[in-house]
Amino acid sequence: MDKLLELWLASGIYNISAGQALMMVIGLVLLYLAIRKNFEPLLLVPIGFGGILANIPEAGLAFSAVENAIHFAKPEVLSALAGVLGVDSADPYTVLHAYKEASHSVHTAATDIALDAGYSNGMLYNFYLVAIASGAAPLVIFMGVGAMTDFGPLLANPKTLFLGAAAQFGIFATVLGAVGLSVLGIMDFSIQDAAAIGIIGGADGPTAIYVASLLAPQLLGAIAVAAYSYMALVPLIQPPIMRALTTVEERKIKMHQLRHVSKLEKIAFPVLLLILVALLLPDAAPLLGMFCFGNLMRECGVVDRLSDTAQNALINIVTIFLGLSVGSKLSADKFLDVQTLGILMLGIVAFGIGTASGVLMAKLMNKLEGGNAINPLIGSAGVSAVPMAARVSNKLGLEANPQNFLLMHAMGPNVAGVIGSAVAAGVMIKFVG
Amino acid sequence: MDNLLSEGLNLMVFGMGFVFVFLTLLVISTAVMSKLATKYAPAPAVKPVKARPTAAAQSASAATKNDELIAVMTAAVHKYRS
Repeated sequence: MDKLLELWLASGIYNISAGQALMMVIGLVLLYLAIRKNFEPLLLVPIGFGGILANIPEAGLAFSAVENAIHFAKPEVLSALAGVLGVDSADPYTVLHAYKEASHSVHTAATDIALDAGYSNGMLYNFYLVAIASGAAPLVIFMGVGAMTDFGPLLANPKTLFLGAAAQFGIFATVLGAVGLSVLGIMDFSIQDAAAIGIIGGADGPTAIYVASLLAPQLLGAIAVAAYSYMALVPLIQPPIMRALTTVEERKIKMHQLRHVSKLEKIAFPVLLLILVALLLPDAAPLLGMFCFGNLMRECGVVDRLSDTAQNALINIVTIFLGLSVGSKLSADKFLDVQTLGILMLGIVAFGIGTASGVLMAKLMNKLEGGNAINPLIGSAGVSAVPMAARVSNKLGLEANPQNFLLMHAMGPNVAGVIGSAVAAGVMIKFVG
Repeated sequence: MDNLLSEGLNLMVFGMGFVFVFLTLLVISTAVMSKLATKYAPAPAVKPVKARPTAAAQSASAATKNDELIAVMTAAVHKYRS
């Protein structure tokens, strides 16, 4: 009978908290959206599954060794931890709080105690340490994105870079919005949190995760989920804004065929971009450096094997671990918070403003060039979200005029948006990091 | 609290300004680079020379393939009829 009781006490049903149950449901919803509705399935399947794993009661997959030790609360371990962390009481909650505030050296000491007592890091926590806390996974993915990106349309019409710049206004407007919410006392975001939330407006998953891991790791789960779900919703969010800001005549504008871009130009561009980053904004060097490296591998033509690995096998492997690591941040104690609601709301505002400012910038450029050269629809592609945003531009163009193919023209601002959001990320890291 | 707001405003003005300055410089340097590239490495001139032999080779191989195909087909037709 004792054994039976022990089994019951260790079971998931006995231990599950309401928060964990709710988070498991959220994980299932993410899986549903990914599998049934095809919302960014490559990321939401691992994220949703990771979220479910992270909330399995007693398994502690998303927790560090110390958090697991505190959870099981053996008195002698707790008092040893309290001693190292410099708190008087061995109350689990106080110890946990002190652990989260502790400096790195204290952290290490506490981890040693927990490891000696036989506790270990959860699997997802280890994935998180290797993939995200180290900054490696988003950067490797960025290299793969670089290897997949064709800068041809951008090089044929470099002015479209301005559209990529204008669309980043969404990022900064959202920072102001988040700060405003804190000032009004509705939410409690620091300037670092605000910057990390704003980056959702860059519509670039790896950039958002990279910035969040540096500036606001405690918000990473919500930020990543918001970024990827809104990227999947681009075909729903953007068209109403684009229609509202353009006239039918503007949407009908046909653009000139793009000129041929030579191989030499394509090879020189990533090098040129790298030099500019090195000279002006070293803080963006990790992101744009890897991006340029990936692109150079693609274009130089002598390392096709490396380029092939970067854009296929490697990016797939890293995506699996990145998704699971993000999922680990969906544990109930970290995700269920009013702040998450705020982040989801601000994220969609960021997207909307970014789209609008891209379209407005394209309208302005069109006016300056005589009113019949640039279709304002391509402006919205400046938010990045490659290639979804460009496809949306193309679709709306075809709606206004069935002969009007904007896809290649929209790819220019689209990849410019990737560069723009990486630059914006570098600025954020520089100013508030 | 006002401090936070001014920090946010600062971030917005400088951040947006910097993004524009950076991308403007990128536009200018890309345009210069493209000009230089097309001036010193006129790629299109090389293309037709290369294209001809490959096109000829392709049509040649296509011709032999056609011959083979016809031979196979006649053989098959003969067999079927007999």
